[in-house]
Amino acid sequence: MPRYDVNKIAMALPLKTAHASQTEDLSDPKIVKFVVVKKREEQAKEEITSFEEAMLPHLDAAHNLAKWLLRNEQDAQDVVQEAYLRAFRSFNGFRGTNGRAWLLTIVRNTSYTLLKKSHAVDLTTPFDEEIHATGHESVSPATILEHSEDSDLITEAMDALPAEFREIVVLRHQEGLSYKEIADIAQIPPGTVMSRLARARAKLKEYLAARMSK
Amino acid sequence: MDGYLDGQLDPIANQTIEQHLRECGRCDQAFKTQGSLIRAIGNATPYFKAPAELRERIQSSLREETSQHPVRNGVPGAQIQFHKRQPEPRTIPLEIPWNWLGLAAAIILGAIIVLNVVPRLQRPGADQFLATQLIASHARSLLANHLTDVASSDQHTVKPWLDAKLDFAPPVIDLSSDGFPLIGGRLDYLDNRPVAALIYERRKHFINLFVWPAGSSTTGATNTMSRQGYQLLHWVDSDFNYWAVSDVNANDLQTFKSKFEAQTSHH
Repeated sequence: MPRYDVNKIAMALPLKTAHASQTEDLSDPKIVKFVVVKKREEQAKEEITSFEEAMLPHLDAAHNLAKWLLRNEQDAQDVVQEAYLRAFRSFNGFRGTNGRAWLLTIVRNTSYTLLKKSHAVDLTTPFDEEIHATGHESVSPATILEHSEDSDLITEAMDALPAEFREIVVLRHQEGLSYKEIADIAQIPPGTVMSRLARARAKLKEYLAARMSK
Repeated sequence: MDGYLDGQLDPIANQTIEQHLRECGRCDQAFKTQGSLIRAIGNATPYFKAPAELRERIQSSLREETSQHPVRNGVPGAQIQFHKRQPEPRTIPLEIPWNWLGLAAAIILGAIIVLNVVPRLQRPGADQFLATQLIASHARSLLANHLTDVASSDQHTVKPWLDAKLDFAPPVIDLSSDGFPLIGGRLDYLDNRPVAALIYERRKHFINLFVWPAGSSTTGATNTMSRQGYQLLHWVDSDFNYWAVSDVNANDLQTFKSKFEAQTSHH
């Protein structure tokens, strides 16, 4: 009795050959490398796309914050670019839902690194947090209000604020972030956000009053 | 005042302030002025939008970044396996300052040292530490009445449950016929990763079998340990790391291992 059916073997052969060549291909290091490289490229592309979709909508916010902190267009652009690269490198670890706050935290930290390096701010010097009587109380609130619509004057007044007060005004007034979000970005308690914001506004008001009584 | 005007207070504080403002004209006036000032600051502060070229700069720097470091979140195994075959990119963009290259070289050298030397130095200590973790995990599973997350003697119930929760598919086998009935499965965290814990019973004693994928550094050797009255048995097959922990005697645990291995080799 024959052990093998010849026809069956003939039918099975092409299949087996195809299968064998497939395994051979996979064991060839060059092809494996090619497949791996291709996969990596695709993966990298996907990674970039999902990162850009999540983070590029916040580019204006990032640039605005950096510009207000550094007061220099070139530095602001460099910092934003650096911050995006940093964000990209740790994007896999980002599991939060607030991409804007996360990105702004990185922009802020990168800005401060540059500010500290260039000694543009001395963060160890405490800002005069008490609002002293300045002799400008005679200027009426209505007059101050009128001048607070002057962009140039507000810019001057903002520039006179220390960076850690300025950033809170930017985040609150321009980005409309909550105290809690600002607290997370600036790494301070929410209570401090509230008090710094109140002081910053008082300082701005005081600056405007001083300019008007001149 | 600012907290109220920014809408950042809780409802009770808001109500208290509103109540007061209705009664006190001076405060009401002061709040209105401050509110207008806050709005004015917001409106008058210039908003610096990003120029178009910044977006382009960022987009191209991201692409450059990935072409320099092709895989950052790939399958770790694949990365290690193919690392040697992958020639490093020879073209180095000119804008990278040399001190950054020096730093990068230092980091790579450091990483090589850490990856190669440290595990060898720490292997015995790491095993001891792992053994402590395993015993703690075993003891905790019995103490806190949290022996199983999924209690079933049916391997076809336990296995899909674990598969869905983990990034690997551990072998789940009922060894009732060999005197080690399966009680259930549990998730645990050991050796810095989530692992599967399979619980077996042996004459009113419990055996925790911890399973996780075998790393490249592990060897095929079987390892036994006895600590604090617990028996630990470690073995590795082609796919997984196994640690059996129990208070049964060492012979029972050996029997358990051989029965388990006999069944896994059939699968």
